[in-house]
Order: sequence, then structure tokens, then C-alpha cells
Amino acid sequence: MLFMHETHKVIGRHASAFEDLFRDEWMGALARGEGARLLWYLNHAMGSGPAYQVVTITAVSDGAAWEALARRTLAGDLSELASRLEACRYEVTGKMLAPVYWSALQKVDLAEMPADGREHELSVYMQDTGWPDAPLDDYIELWNHDYWQFMRKTPPDKKLLDIQACFQVAHGSGIRPEAILMQKIVNFSTLGGLLTNVEEYDPDTWPGSYMAKGLELRDQWESKLLRTSSWSPLW
Amino acid sequence: MPHPASEPAPGTFERGLVLFIHEVHKVVGKSAARFEDAYRDGWMPTLAKGSEARLLWYFDLAHGSGLAYRVITVTAVEDGAAWARLAERLAGGDLQSWARHLDGLQHESHGRIMTPLEWSPSIGLLPEISGDPGVHEPTMYMEDTMWPHPGKVGEYIEKSGDVYRRSLGAEGSRMHMSIELSLQTVPGAGRYPEVTLLQKLSALPPLIHLLINDIPPEVTGPGSWMHEALELRDQWRSKLLRTAVWSPLQ
Repeated sequence: MLFMHETHKVIGRHASAFEDLFRDEWMGALARGEGARLLWYLNHAMGSGPAYQVVTITAVSDGAAWEALARRTLAGDLSELASRLEACRYEVTGKMLAPVYWSALQKVDLAEMPADGREHELSVYMQDTGWPDAPLDDYIELWNHDYWQFMRKTPPDKKLLDIQACFQVAHGSGIRPEAILMQKIVNFSTLGGLLTNVEEYDPDTWPGSYMAKGLELRDQWESKLLRTSSWSPLW
Repeated sequence: MPHPASEPAPGTFERGLVLFIHEVHKVVGKSAARFEDAYRDGWMPTLAKGSEARLLWYFDLAHGSGLAYRVITVTAVEDGAAWARLAERLAGGDLQSWARHLDGLQHESHGRIMTPLEWSPSIGLLPEISGDPGVHEPTMYMEDTMWPHPGKVGEYIEKSGDVYRRSLGAEGSRMHMSIELSLQTVPGAGRYPEVTLLQKLSALPPLIHLLINDIPPEVTGPGSWMHEALELRDQWRSKLLRTAVWSPLQ
């Protein structure tokens, strides 16, 4: 399974129209086919980065399904709708993601993914994108051994994040080396502490050991705080 | 522009949509020769063992015209399924060690996956592209990448074929240049809307003339492509690229 990750630079005055088109038309149009479903519709939280940026993640069953979606978008039944979306944004930047071998998310049941716009609470994700200066495989292994394995064992009351997925960019569709974590924030007070406190890390104990070891492989990453819409299929 | 029924339409192959993997590599300068070796002796012949993918071009961005140690490669795959198989080989299959080797020779690469415009010339059939092309004289290309205004990509694609492409081929054209391949980014694998034209230069003097002279008013005035196309886009970037002597397509 592949995951189409798109960052939409939306025209501010058309932001509501853009979201309406995604919710009321695009999501349902995808669901009328068999190979693709919208998973997440996320607004980049204002106050934490660029304004009017939307991130969407769409699951496609395989390469052929992605090609079929591209055909529908460029010259098929979705092209007229795609043109209307295009008129609501300056540009969109996409990349195709593949789950790394240890990612909790490997596949989704496309047929079970809601596409009716049902509403729910909002949730916030921290999306981390890292660019190692070491081989990509070593960075993915570091995240597994020194981050994911510790985070998954953290007691619920001390947990900031639930790591729901880890991806690498599928060949030729974006930057290499690059890897991405989709992490749902489960404790907003801990997030507040992270944002406002200067942490002194002990390099001999976790998480300081992870921070120290991580610097041997990379020192560049970007965190984005993304808030789901009230109707995002996953949240 | 219709195509003869006996020829494959651009962008199509027997089973699907031909995809072009366009990568810009930021190469480690002191490893530039080994980087080139990895493509010439590794990537190109490995792909040529099968029938569904081929390295087409290996370009160096001409020193003196932009960023140093930038290489552009264009690899064609026969369709989306073939691309996914190639991606799996690199992520965890027989090409994983090659990809790891390359990680040590480049700072990073920026890739996008593209498909030909309806009016693009065809590259022919993939299995007929050699994985052992020998040595040729290098060829210069001007690669233009455009970002049409929101909602204007369709009109831009149509008019760039009807007006710009025809003007390049017209007798008396100022630039001795021909479009070898015209592409747009596939949704989900790069920036959209984005259009890239790979244009082969058949003579250098017109390029030098373009570089050292102001563009004359008759080229930029009302009624000209330069003028009218401003309604469709006003941002583009040109890169001057030189093929490696062993690049399969020159």
C-alpha cells in the first residue's frame, strides 16, 4: 500500500470553498473507485507555521491504483473537480510514501474508511520529517530502536505522542533521504511543557540517549502541528 | 495534435501510462566521479536487464550556469505498477544496497514523477533504449520548468503545444532548439501544476546570443508568445544541461 501525501498552499479567501470541495465532493468521488481513499485532512495549526496550508494523506492500494487515480485526475472523471480545487490553491506539493518495515500502519481497509463527512472531535498530530546525513536505512533503524521501541512502552499518563505511522519517500517522488513520523498528540499539557521548557537531556538515559545518538545521523528535521478537520476520516 | 495509429501515443505504453522519474541530485563534490560510475555501471545496466524501466538521460548542470555538482537523471518506467516495483526493489530488495551506496555519494536528491503532455514527442519503446549506449559527443539541453497560474495549467499546456512548440520548429526560428519531451508532474509526486520541457540545442551561437543580448521587442511585444503567455504563467526556470558522453539518450 502507498500513501499520497500532499501539502496544499491554499488561497486564503478560498479556504472554506477548498475544504467544502474536499469534504463534499473529492472524498466521495475517491470512494466511488476501488483503489483510493482519503485518510486524513489536516490544517496546519495557525500560530505554529505557515498560514492556509492543508495536508491531505490518501491511501492507494498499489502503484497501479495510483496511476489510475492520476489518470482520473488529469483527464478522467475527476478532472473537472480537480480544476475547481486547483482554482482554490496556489499550488500543491505531493510525495508518495511507503511505510517502513516497523511502522504500526502498514495497510488500511479501504472499504471500511468512512467517506460521508461524519463529524467528530478534533485531534492534533505532530508530523516530524527528518533528513539524515547518513544512509536512510540507518536513520529508519535509529527511529525504530531508539525512539519507537521506547515510546511504545511509555505509560499512558506520561505519553505525549502515539506514533501511528512511519514512512519513507517512495523512489523518485520526493526527497531522499527523508523519513516521516505521523504522531498523534495524546496529552496537550505535555505538549505545552515541551514548547515552553528548556529540556536538559542526560545523554546516558533515554530520551537524552536518543537525542545524542540522533545527532550522529542527522541534525535537520521539521515538526508540523497539524489539526484534523472535524470530518477527517482518520483523526 | 493527432498521432499516426501505428505509433504509440506519447505517454502511453502497452499497459499504461509511461512515467518519467526526474531527479535532481546534489552530489558530494569529491565523490562526483563515483556518483557517475554508480549510474553508468550500476543503475543503467541493471534496469536494462528487464523491460519495464530504462535510464534515459544523465545530465550535468553546466558549471558556470547555476549550482555546482548538480546531476539530473531521467528514468522511464512503463507504468505505475512498474514504478512501484522499482520503488520496492530500492527500499528493501536487490537495489537497496545500491541506494545505500548512493546515499554516501549525494547530499540529497529531489525527485518528481512526470507524465508526457498530449502533444509531447515520443521517446519510443523502452526495451529499445540501450543499457550499453557507448560514447557520444555530449549534447546541450535547455530544461525549462514552468508554474502556470492557478486554474490555467490546461490552457497553458494546450497553447504551449500550439504556439510555442510550433514557433521553435518554424523556419527562421531564433533558437535552434527542439522539444524532445514535454512533461507535467503527476498528482501526488511533486509540485502541481508544473510543466517541464526538455529542449535539445542543435547549435550554440543562438544560445550565446540569447545570453548576452536584450530580448528584442518583437519577441516580447503584444501578439508574441512571450507576451500572451504572461496571462498563463510568469514564473519559470531554465537550466542548461549537458549530457554525459555515455547517456543513453543524447
